[in-house]
Amino acid sequence: MEQKDDIYYIEKVKAGQTNYFSYIVERYQDIVFSIAMKVLKNREDAEEMAQESFIKAYKSLHTFKGNAKFSTWLYRITYNNCISEVRKRKMHFTSTDDVQIADEAEEMNLDGIPEENRAQAIKAAMDKLPEDEYTLILLYYFEEQSIEEISKVTKLSESNTKVKLYRARKKLYTILNELMKDELYTIL
Amino acid sequence: MNELEDIKLKALLQNMKLENPGTGFTVQVMNKIFEENSVLEKIKSEKVLGKGFWIISILFIVLLAAIFFVNNAGVQTDSQIGQLLPEAGQGLSEGYQSFFSKLGTLPLSIAGITIAVSVLIFIDKFISSNSKIFA
Repeated sequence: MEQKDDIYYIEKVKAGQTNYFSYIVERYQDIVFSIAMKVLKNREDAEEMAQESFIKAYKSLHTFKGNAKFSTWLYRITYNNCISEVRKRKMHFTSTDDVQIADEAEEMNLDGIPEENRAQAIKAAMDKLPEDEYTLILLYYFEEQSIEEISKVTKLSESNTKVKLYRARKKLYTILNELMKDELYTIL
Repeated sequence: MNELEDIKLKALLQNMKLENPGTGFTVQVMNKIFEENSVLEKIKSEKVLGKGFWIISILFIVLLAAIFFVNNAGVQTDSQIGQLLPEAGQGLSEGYQSFFSKLGTLPLSIAGITIAVSVLIFIDKFISSNSKIFA
């Protein structure tokens, strides 16, 4: 349904009704902005990057053939834009390979956190993830993209995507466990 | 990593509130898009070959025609001038003749280089004035 909606609006834009592109912007602005924000770590730069990504997508909309999901195509533009910007600024793009993963974090344990605070705790843990892991988790769990789609966005092989996603999940659990320990200490 | 863990994590993440760029974001993006559109429309409506190009082309053709005419009909012109100005114009006509004969003997390579440079300058000017299209 969502995919059909995107195609409907894209066709309208392609037919010259530019106004319809605002639907696309409205629909994807949060996720595009979140990825940009995670990589650039600055609100203004992230906003500019997100705008640039949408404008780039609009300009090359005629090349979108509909073989893949529109969101996959848009995220690829965003991800590439962010990586180019990081390279331009000579910033460091933290990748999964740079991070040590604790072996004990095999399971997610949120029992110590009240249910109403769990989303908040997850967000705090997500914020602590490196850029590429954050993107993988966001696309896989939040956007429900498949491994194949994520590999198109990140230009990683499918097997590499799977491995990185597994490690990212483990890392997320480790951070959550640490956050919970901190929480307990503050209570005690 | 089991399936139940995956489901739990998915449910949690989907409740997570993402960063958002602010209320005017869509309007800003759309304004930029409309701006880009109007610039592109303007560029498309502009003539590729402007007035300057046609003036230079006409002058170039006139010059070529003059050289061709002088080279091929130089003898005739010389004799006509000779007839019209039998005495006073003798020295003048010789001067003209030597000037045009020198002009006519300009090596082809120089003409080729001049034309090639003109074409390159034209292409450069065309690309730089339409940089939005080529970007």
